[in-house]
Amino acid sequence: MKIAIVNLLARPNRKKTAFEVEEELQFHIEMLERKYVQQGMSEAHAKAAALKRFGNTERIKKQCVDISRRQSLLRRILKISSILIALTGLAIHTSSSDYKVARLGTVLIMIAVSGRLLLYVRGLSPWIFLSGTKTSLSVFTDTPKDAART
Amino acid sequence: MANERTDLMQGTLELLILNTLARESMHGYGIVLRIHEAAEDLLKVEDGSLYPALYRMEERGWIKSEWGVSENNRRAKFYKLTSKGKRKLEAERANWNRISKAITKVLQAT
Repeated sequence: MKIAIVNLLARPNRKKTAFEVEEELQFHIEMLERKYVQQGMSEAHAKAAALKRFGNTERIKKQCVDISRRQSLLRRILKISSILIALTGLAIHTSSSDYKVARLGTVLIMIAVSGRLLLYVRGLSPWIFLSGTKTSLSVFTDTPKDAART
Repeated sequence: MANERTDLMQGTLELLILNTLARESMHGYGIVLRIHEAAEDLLKVEDGSLYPALYRMEERGWIKSEWGVSENNRRAKFYKLTSKGKRKLEAERANWNRISKAITKVLQAT
């Protein structure tokens, strides 16, 4: 029980998250480097080409850390809130002899359960609806200029 | 062949990632490779920008990640589809087919 409470309250460690994101991105860059070396590039050129192709590593890392942190933080807040609401509801429901007050307890329990279900079903994050997904695809096509040249 | 960047519809990258992960779990580099191979290099995912997309998808519960060992014995993060992701993939596939059919019809009509 104590461990569960500690886990619930523990804030996700930014350094740890950043370290893991860094490790993941580094793996990708090294795989690109390896590919370029296999294609005949020198190690220095391969490294430069890999970094160029990957893009702005610091910006990407920051984006990933932010997404990862807000997800775990929001989940924790929602979990704690729903538990507190459910416990309050249960206390009101069991301790009150007044029908109307007891019903308020039931409503609180239902709110807490709905919140938990929403968290489960939607993977809930209000930012989902705000954060635009930037399209990051390039299409390789023959431009009219190239067509004229050939 | 020129490298011309064309903006595609929102959600296209997510659809490609979901579809790629439908077969097996993969790390980010593997996902990019698989998409390039499948599209015969006509469609290129920008390597770095794949990751914010993967993190957002994990946030939405479509994919799950876990650390594992890569084909070259390196520690790597692997992504796999969740059941919610599978449902999302089906919905997005159907949506894509509907839209592409509609656009083709409009183009053929003019």
